[in-house]
Amino acid sequence: MSEDAVRLIPADEGSWRLEAYLRRGGYEAARRAVTSMAPADIIAEVRRAGLRGRGGAGFPAGLKWSFVPQGVGGPKYLCVNADEGEPGTFKDRAILVRDPHRLLEGMVIAAFAVGIRTAVIYVRGEYERIAGRLRAAVAEAEGAGFLGRTIFGSEFGLDVVIHFGAGAYICGEETALLESIEGRRGAPRLKPPFPAVVGLFRSPTVINNVETLAHVPSIIGRGADWFMSLGLPKDCGTRLFSVSGAVRRPGLYELPTGIPLRTLIEDHAGGPPEGVSVKAVIPGGLSAPVLRADELETHLDFESMALACSMAGSAGVIVIGDRTPMLEVLGVMSRFYAHESCGQCTPCRIGTSWIHRTVTRIAAGQGRRGDLDLILSLADGIKGRTLCPMGDAAALPIRALVTKFRGELEQAAER
Amino acid sequence: MSGTKTVALTIDGRTVTAVEGANVLRAAERAGIDIPHFCYHPAFAAEGNCRMCLVEIEGLPKLELACSTPVREGLVVRTATERVTQARRDVLEFLLADHPLDCPICDKAGECKLQDHYDRYGRFPGRFVEAKQKKDKLVRIGRGLVLDRERCILCTRCVRFLRNVTGTGELGVFERGARAEIGVFEGAPVDNSYAGNLVDICPVGAITAEDFRFRTRAWFLARNPSVCPHCSRGCAVIVESVSGYPLPGGKRRVYRITAGENPAVNGYWICDLGRAGRRDIDEGRAAGLLKKGVPVDGGPWQKALTEVTAAIKAVPVSDRPARIAVILNARLTCEELVRAKRLFVTGLGLGRVFFADRKPGAADSLLLTTERVPNARGVLDSGLEARPPLLEDLAGITALLVFGSGLAEHFPEEAIGRTLAAIPSKFLFAAHAGPFDRLFDLAFPVAVPPEKSGTYINVAGVRQSFGRALVAPAGAVPEGEILTGLAQGLGIDLGDPDVR
Repeated sequence: MSEDAVRLIPADEGSWRLEAYLRRGGYEAARRAVTSMAPADIIAEVRRAGLRGRGGAGFPAGLKWSFVPQGVGGPKYLCVNADEGEPGTFKDRAILVRDPHRLLEGMVIAAFAVGIRTAVIYVRGEYERIAGRLRAAVAEAEGAGFLGRTIFGSEFGLDVVIHFGAGAYICGEETALLESIEGRRGAPRLKPPFPAVVGLFRSPTVINNVETLAHVPSIIGRGADWFMSLGLPKDCGTRLFSVSGAVRRPGLYELPTGIPLRTLIEDHAGGPPEGVSVKAVIPGGLSAPVLRADELETHLDFESMALACSMAGSAGVIVIGDRTPMLEVLGVMSRFYAHESCGQCTPCRIGTSWIHRTVTRIAAGQGRRGDLDLILSLADGIKGRTLCPMGDAAALPIRALVTKFRGELEQAAER
Repeated sequence: MSGTKTVALTIDGRTVTAVEGANVLRAAERAGIDIPHFCYHPAFAAEGNCRMCLVEIEGLPKLELACSTPVREGLVVRTATERVTQARRDVLEFLLADHPLDCPICDKAGECKLQDHYDRYGRFPGRFVEAKQKKDKLVRIGRGLVLDRERCILCTRCVRFLRNVTGTGELGVFERGARAEIGVFEGAPVDNSYAGNLVDICPVGAITAEDFRFRTRAWFLARNPSVCPHCSRGCAVIVESVSGYPLPGGKRRVYRITAGENPAVNGYWICDLGRAGRRDIDEGRAAGLLKKGVPVDGGPWQKALTEVTAAIKAVPVSDRPARIAVILNARLTCEELVRAKRLFVTGLGLGRVFFADRKPGAADSLLLTTERVPNARGVLDSGLEARPPLLEDLAGITALLVFGSGLAEHFPEEAIGRTLAAIPSKFLFAAHAGPFDRLFDLAFPVAVPPEKSGTYINVAGVRQSFGRALVAPAGAVPEGEILTGLAQGLGIDLGDPDVR
């Protein structure tokens, strides 16, 4: 990546402070947007840049903004999804810790573009300990007139509220997140209506991931063309890849979208440790169907991953070495979904629990003939049938794991 | 309704018309196509949590919820395809995985949606070999309701009822995943006078009523519609009784009163007072004809009635207006009131016709009205004057006919005793045994409203006719027949009771 590239995770001393952010040219894009751009032009620019949502679904951000009805009365809200609960994903945390002002600037631009005056940052409960810098950043920005009643001396203002979750994975699902902010049990809402029309407190609401919004200042500051020069034509820019598992240098890597999985794992993360070879990779957070070692040439962008029957998801890359038994992976995976299903709809509530109990039994040496087929069939009973995307998020990776590593799992089950 | 647009859609190859804004599930239901469901209830917005009503919609890749998909012109819906059948089977298999299958001791058996849907759409061999989750089976959640968490399918109808209808919100969902369960908040049990509806809307045997638990089986019950007589709202009710044997020695016939559906009056709900009305039917009933408080053996009631007509005839015609008094009540049907007016006012020319009823109570913001009688508007409509008697109105009279037990509500016991003692001939026609029965020359047992057919006019002026929901116990007679009998004995023509 060229020196000119964005640095979502700056390395300078005290990078989270306002003065450091201003030294890096911070808030210039927001100033330009608020003082000299028309809201519609901002949305158009972000749409043209093809910025896709970094939370996992990859929905074009500018398009999402354009769904909010304009010219109607009543409040509108911006909700920042900082719930980051997808296992294997730790990128938003880094932005909150190293560069919170970049997020705030992205929020100012988004809010101005959509006509929003109140924003809520929904931070996962586990991040409460690290939220001090985010709180301080909000205070700094308010003090400097980058947030608050009037921004850059204009008519436009934005209030920011930080709200903490209580540890439920499901609250990362956008409508469960809204329920949680409203003070209710975090359980997804039936869609439609979509949040852009009926969202927080029944008002039109934009919900964006932290990383998505953190890209917005550079898109407005440097232009869509610059952003499009990075990554792939249909899936532009850079992404923060969280690499964990069987690699020498696990960590966070900001790279253009669409680089091959192998390049990320071997060139950047240093490949597997001595004596270990890669057996499998979960490429986009736990919910992304697993890839085998022979699929490492797959590129890390939404389309390529979909073609490989997986997904780019949250770009949490979990590398599984040959010493890790897949039954153990299946156990961790099934336990997670059974534990985190909100319990609202039947297939996810019972299906994930049944699968987990079956896997636990197999792991305890009580496997029965047909157990793996049962798991596949239960996953099929969940897939495409649930109220929210969590059903697929649970069923698809379990399905892929059982299908792709059936031989090993069968052996383990018989032992 | 004027201005209501209809649309035409296709369900399973049939063209179906539906009102714009309706959902596919209701449209299918109206066309006689069953789309099984648990969580959807027409009184609430679609919740979409049970996933039982998934159907195929042409042009959409996934199965869609029939409960939340609005109808629109040209929509093509398929409910009988292999995919839909499989999806239903899968949901049933999930719901039954941890289900205790204690149907043999479950009060819902026979009217349980899980049972019914399995019977019709399930019937698969069981694949669940894990240990079933143990959950609390006897949680007293308040108002005589018992929650069985093992049977619960988490449709949240109960939670939504308490949030949306009563606004009291006592129940919530706690925990998550397969550990999710319905419960009350600590120290705050279900406490509202519509709680009985939770049993009606629970599609399975998760919420049951102490008053019904383990008393009978659903399939023994005859279900007949009636109109609730306990306030002037006139809610539709279903009287659920064990048919086949009349009241032997005060034994229970009516096992429960449940809510009937009437969009014009009560929607889908009734209050607990109306539900408790089952006691009014079976408890404290007058057991048979009494003469000065002593049971009279044998002889039809018509024979005893000749004593009443004889007492009336004994009063000279010119004295009758001042010396015969009649006390009626607003539990009488419109038809009975018409007969009473023709008999007592037009025929006998009586001046002392009064009404004595249960005293008014507090109304609530939902259905219950202040009047604790069903037909106060019917009384107005009859042209009879609804004035209560004063004790001095009953002084110096020769004959008194009392219909109902309302007197005791208005006067002290001692005063009633003294007044009655001074009246030479007095007759009582009441459904329930009372403290003054022995003071009357004759006390005739009569029917309670569900044992009658007739018409009530409710507080809003809605005229509702109802049929007999159960047979009166042996010897108890509807007041209408008593009135006809008296008229015959007195040679008074009542005309057609249906023509006013």
